[in-house]
Amino acid sequence: MSSDDTPNTETDAADSDGREPGTNTGQSDAPAAIERLVRASAVERALISVSALLLSVAVGFVLILAAGRMTTCSTAATTYFGVGFCYDPVTVYDLLFLGAFGDLSSDLINGQLATTLSQTTVLMFTGVAVAVAFRAGIFNIGTQGQLVVGALGSAVATLWASTLVSGVVGTLLLLPFGLAVGAFVGGVYGAIPGALKAYADANEVITTIMLNFVATAVALYLVQDHFQDPESVATQTVPLPEYATFPSVIFRARDDFSLVAFVVAAALLVAVYLLIERTSFGYDLRTSGIQPEAAEYGGVDAARTVVASMTLSGALAGMGGAVYVLMIIGNFQTGVPAYGFDGITVSILAGNNPLGVGFAALLFGVLKSGSIVVDVGTDVPPQLVGVLRGLIILFVAMPEFFRMIGTRVWSVRPSGSGGQPVTDGGTVADSRGDVEDDVDAESGVPTEGGERDE
Amino acid sequence: MSSETVRGRLTDGELSPQRVAGLVAAVLLAGLVLWGFAFPETQAGRFVAILTDRSTLAATLRLSVPIAFAALGGIFAEKSGVINIGLEGLLIVSAFGGVYMADVTGSVWMGLAAGIVASTLLALLFAVVCIEFRADQIIAGLAIWLIALGLAPFASQVVYGGPNTASVDTVDAIVIPGLSSIPFFGALFSATPFVYLMFGAVAASWWTLNRTSFGRWVNASGENPKALDTAGVNVTRVRYAAVLLSGVLCGFGGAALSLSIGQFVGSGSTMVNGKGFIAIVTYLFGNYNPVGALLSTMLFAGLDALQLTLQARDVFAVPQPLVRTIPYVTVIIVLALFGRTRIPKAAGEHYESGDE
Repeated sequence: MSSDDTPNTETDAADSDGREPGTNTGQSDAPAAIERLVRASAVERALISVSALLLSVAVGFVLILAAGRMTTCSTAATTYFGVGFCYDPVTVYDLLFLGAFGDLSSDLINGQLATTLSQTTVLMFTGVAVAVAFRAGIFNIGTQGQLVVGALGSAVATLWASTLVSGVVGTLLLLPFGLAVGAFVGGVYGAIPGALKAYADANEVITTIMLNFVATAVALYLVQDHFQDPESVATQTVPLPEYATFPSVIFRARDDFSLVAFVVAAALLVAVYLLIERTSFGYDLRTSGIQPEAAEYGGVDAARTVVASMTLSGALAGMGGAVYVLMIIGNFQTGVPAYGFDGITVSILAGNNPLGVGFAALLFGVLKSGSIVVDVGTDVPPQLVGVLRGLIILFVAMPEFFRMIGTRVWSVRPSGSGGQPVTDGGTVADSRGDVEDDVDAESGVPTEGGERDE
Repeated sequence: MSSETVRGRLTDGELSPQRVAGLVAAVLLAGLVLWGFAFPETQAGRFVAILTDRSTLAATLRLSVPIAFAALGGIFAEKSGVINIGLEGLLIVSAFGGVYMADVTGSVWMGLAAGIVASTLLALLFAVVCIEFRADQIIAGLAIWLIALGLAPFASQVVYGGPNTASVDTVDAIVIPGLSSIPFFGALFSATPFVYLMFGAVAASWWTLNRTSFGRWVNASGENPKALDTAGVNVTRVRYAAVLLSGVLCGFGGAALSLSIGQFVGSGSTMVNGKGFIAIVTYLFGNYNPVGALLSTMLFAGLDALQLTLQARDVFAVPQPLVRTIPYVTVIIVLALFGRTRIPKAAGEHYESGDE
């Protein structure tokens, strides 16, 4: 961990005023970066997340218009400034954000809402999994792989165990068992990159990404060669019996959403929050994330904390995989959706706070469910959500951008001369404004920053 | 700088567990090869036959191109102090951009140019976000990857109605008569222009980094930006140049990848499929030296070529999905054994000039 050649001369406090000494050396960049994220106040962080979201929506707006020019259609879906576009961004966003809730006035428990909530449930697990690791100063990009192995382990083990019990008792026994197996398998898979980081100094970003590829391939092999459902042409395991899956409470059984699983997920978020904020393990975890050297000085076994955090993170992701199997699909199929990668966005958007993960997961549940509505209702490719995901991460990662705009708006407002700053501020908040300005503002602001140097 | 590190490594941890493990692996492999030479009729013999087959070298070179270009780009960026983990994303957009423009114009070379432009633009976005807005480099790099992972299939869906593009013409191999008929090494003289471009780019990168003042600035910008600043060189500008250069190089790699196949495949993790991340490992393994990065790239690409041939000829009765994991597992093992690479001192840190 601290095997670097220089002793700890971290002067993290110095960078709050924007003047990091160039000689600031020593440890890996991750903890310092995360610390910068953590230090921002909760309100500021929420503002940054909302601004990032709006900015992504604005860029997505331009993207949809641009895509609408690249494709061909008989009648224009919308017209701006006398130019016809094949896709109408307003319709797309309407379907994306409101379509996800279905028609609530006629049916409070409609299928689309159920889909939104079931996506949210799985994303709560992957989001909090990423959050735990990030708080410990570890970039766990391997949530996807941990989810995949957890899902497969849970599907296979629960199928085997379902032959031993049945009925209501069976459900009561099988669900905790399935979750535990998912957590165990995911935890072990998460512990591997943890141990590699702690004891061999292998960069966890790379190892976890590699392990994602490995997990997909190994799962494919295991299903094909060992657990293939003989009745099916698709690569999947034998479907679980009804009593081995989450019961649908209130919602319809065919909608694949269970309030029980949702409640379990929400309770887990609170539990992880308490674990991180209120226990000594959580204290060790947080200090390792913020100041690894200080933590070690204070008696924390850094290597063990890394492995423990990664195991916990992997276990949470694995439970997400188990819920995906036991609630949504009822067996394991290859081609698991990218819940793990969305979990990264969810966690970053939530400022790596387990409670915030709940809200961010709901937002992404809406996006995932809404993208289905968009896919059905328009010709706009569903990959749009993937682009938005990346944009949101990018914008949340640059709080300085929003701070710069914020400071200008604040510093100018009293004096009353609001020409330049207001247009800058407008690019963030105003998604309907002159869209060309958004792109210009991004390259325009930096040159202004550069001029200040003189 | 680098020679100092190498010397330090050799004298310091001579018998670390990692070194022993590496040694054991090397001995085992050597044993397998010797066994194969001695008994050509055995499994090992067939394995060695594949290993020394001309087509294996040809495949290795072909597979090396995108990884080597991305690795060169990664070296410039990281040496200047900006860790560019978004190489994968740059490869993805240039792979799509290359095929799209080649499809529109009918010219492979226009495609290559478009791939470079696409990748450089995305690199510019990354540079602005990291350098101007002090974004965390790792998170921003991930975002670049995820944006490209969504954007390329999105664009393909818009233009071609599916995640995979239409097929375009590929470039013919340049065959050097005479030399190309040498057994095994003949593959070096009968390859696509991209392979020759790769060798050229490695040489040019090495020369730039070690023999030009720009190379010295890049080095200083990552090692001691303050000193560079004091010497009157604008650190920000050097970092911009280095990150943009990584975009240009990745553009070559990504466009070469798709144009040598003649199609962009955008389903799943796209046709790039982790090559950008493997590139990061190759330059770490190659200790930030372009030549070292090329050699380790060829090691990884060679493994990939080997697993492709092993699959095709069914030599070892190992299931295909497992064989496919070989390159990824190798990356993990290499990182674990040689993970303690000395990264540039100021890499990952924002530098703020003092004279504001």
